[in-house]
Amino acid sequence: MRKLVIINLSFVSVVLFYFTVVSGSKVFKSDWELPRATEQVNTKHRLVLITQELETPFWDKVANAAMEQAKKESASLEVWGSYGNNREDFLKKIEIAIYSQVDGIIVQGLDTDEFKALTKIKAASYGIPIITVANDVPMGDSLRKSYVGSDQYLAGKMIGEQLLADMGTAGEVAIMIDKQYQYFQKQRMEGIKDALKEYPNIQIVVIEMQDAREQVMATTKDVLNQNPNIDAFIAINADILAAMVQEIESRSQIERYYIYSCDDDYESISLLNQGKINGIIEQSPEEMGTKSVELILKWLNNEKVPLDLNGYLTDIQVVKASNVR
Amino acid sequence: MNSIQKKILVLVIAVLFIMVAIWTSLTYYNQKMQNQYNEILERYLIMNEVTSESQQIVAALNNYLIEPSESNLKELNLNKNQILRTKERVSKFRNVDNDYALTNYENLIDSLVEITTQSVLARTGQQTEDYLSAFSEASRISKYISEMTLTLIDMELKTYDRFYRSIIDSSGELRMLGIWLLLLITFVVLLLAHWFAKRITRPVNQLTQAAHELSLGRFDLKIEVDSNDEISFLAKMFDKMRININNYLSEIKQKAQLEHELQESKLLLQESQLRSLQSQINPHFLYNTLDILSKKAYLEGSEETSDLLVSVAGLLRYNLNNLENSAALFEEVQVLKKYIDIQHARFTDRLHFHLEVDESCLDIKIPRLTLQPIVENAVIYAVEPDENGGSIYFRVKNEVDYVRIEIEDNGPGMTEEKVKQILHMNSKEVGGHFTGIGINNVVKRLSLFYSCNDVFEIESKVGIGTKVILKIPKNNEG
Repeated sequence: MRKLVIINLSFVSVVLFYFTVVSGSKVFKSDWELPRATEQVNTKHRLVLITQELETPFWDKVANAAMEQAKKESASLEVWGSYGNNREDFLKKIEIAIYSQVDGIIVQGLDTDEFKALTKIKAASYGIPIITVANDVPMGDSLRKSYVGSDQYLAGKMIGEQLLADMGTAGEVAIMIDKQYQYFQKQRMEGIKDALKEYPNIQIVVIEMQDAREQVMATTKDVLNQNPNIDAFIAINADILAAMVQEIESRSQIERYYIYSCDDDYESISLLNQGKINGIIEQSPEEMGTKSVELILKWLNNEKVPLDLNGYLTDIQVVKASNVR
Repeated sequence: MNSIQKKILVLVIAVLFIMVAIWTSLTYYNQKMQNQYNEILERYLIMNEVTSESQQIVAALNNYLIEPSESNLKELNLNKNQILRTKERVSKFRNVDNDYALTNYENLIDSLVEITTQSVLARTGQQTEDYLSAFSEASRISKYISEMTLTLIDMELKTYDRFYRSIIDSSGELRMLGIWLLLLITFVVLLLAHWFAKRITRPVNQLTQAAHELSLGRFDLKIEVDSNDEISFLAKMFDKMRININNYLSEIKQKAQLEHELQESKLLLQESQLRSLQSQINPHFLYNTLDILSKKAYLEGSEETSDLLVSVAGLLRYNLNNLENSAALFEEVQVLKKYIDIQHARFTDRLHFHLEVDESCLDIKIPRLTLQPIVENAVIYAVEPDENGGSIYFRVKNEVDYVRIEIEDNGPGMTEEKVKQILHMNSKEVGGHFTGIGINNVVKRLSLFYSCNDVFEIESKVGIGTKVILKIPKNNEG
């Protein structure tokens, strides 16, 4: 009896002791590890990639590739930017980057005065090198060190040639362009025009418009009304495309028209998959990201001075609807 | 010494120690948590300070631009220094997560200071355009700084999210620990208290039990208390007392026994003396008369009767002497011979007495009147009843450490019960003895005289005879 009581008591005390110890170790071992403090100022190059269109498939690819490259070269890179072409925000980000005195800025070119002023005066006064990516702004306007991206003139030309191949050498072509006429858009347009200029039977209608959705739809309606015989649409700027296609669809059968986009954003690809448009230009965002980081680091490390001012062109290709199917 | 006081003290100290340990660790833990909280809070406060200081710079700059006085410039410089100092403090917050943002932040502050300086310079140079644009830039940077502050704080919150959660978790754990600790301590202290109480009370109980036993008169149980405190001391003393009492008791018992024996021997002596006195009715008269009779018989030519009377007179004389004195064996044997002479006159041919004495032993001391009563007994029981008479053998032999005296007869013998009866009976009604002294008296006197019990032996068989053996120790001085 006595033995039983002792065994019970010791069992209880062992159990209690065990739980107390377990609980105690949980309390006192809980890791309050704060993020490791880094005493020294990081000597790595601080880069920033700024875009107007954060979290679009194209820019995600660019950003990821750039990040990877930065990691490989042990530089720190951050991706900033605005959502949905918010220019004000975009410019503000550039300004902050400049005031923050980052070591290098990789930026989506924006062919506006504010952008130019920032890059030309501010960035230069802080001695920050700028590389434009995807969309270029001429060197003379922006004092950029280089450009990494597609050859927009070539892209236009390829679209034009594709149109010729699809439609033949006669017809009416409407080129839809953003009123702001950015540099890359101009280049694309020139490419298209150069491709088509040898064929006198092809008539080109250049239509300028705001890229607001209602504006696009209204303009498209006008074009269809005024040019009933139109055969093809080329959207220089992918922002226009969706609204334009919708409007055309609402009017008549879309298969009648040859429709092309110069971008490979999400909407273009999905429309292409649906067979609603006939071709797009596919760019190489990964290459842009990788290359731009590589170049700017080379510049910063004085390995390759000066950079090619005309830019480094990345691959482009035409994706036809038939290819997709 | 391991006292009860010490035991209690140890218990209290143990409990106190546990409490202090727990209190210390909990306080330490709390302090640690507090410090962490404070540290984090301080980061937020300092970052917030940066924001307000940047705004102050802009305000001071504005004041200066409007009114470029010395005091305003001083104020502005003061603010600039202030924000640079704060920047130093902020730079200590650098960690892996916020490295990039923090560098940007610091550079922003630098830019602000720089632009401010530019603006002041432009104002001094009266370049209105420049200083205004620099001012607007400064105010923009100030705005960016506040935004960046928010971003940083946001980042901090994200970084410390896990930390906060772990703090919340561990405070939950702490509560659990408190409960477990409370249970454990309660349990352990209860056990300890029980154990201590038992250690203190058990010896007391044992002692109480022992005292009870003593009070019942059982002095032979050892008092054992398995502890090492005052109670044990008490128990030891108690045990000593018990042993002493026990010793006294046995001593008293022994004394009583001794006294009893003494009394007995005295009584026996008195009895013998009484008997001898009884038989001494005017012994001198008798003695003188016997002498006269002996002479008369001799004169009348009855020599035999004369000799007999001499023997009787000698025997009487011997008997008249003090019984307490011991005598040499030689004297005893002489008396025995006289007695036998007398008995010969009575039984003539019926009594055959054989004497074998080792002469070397005759000077040994034995009590008076020991042999004669034994031989008398033999005569009474072995010779008297038989018409043909009987033989009595008296032998004295020298053994190694004692003298062996044998008195043997060929009478009817006795049963064993009878022998026992004789040896242990203290009857006084033995009739027909010359001196009136019975065997029993002899036995007791012998054993008292030599203080041992195996001096006297009787070997007897019915129909064959009885043999009385006395083993007289040689070294006895009595």
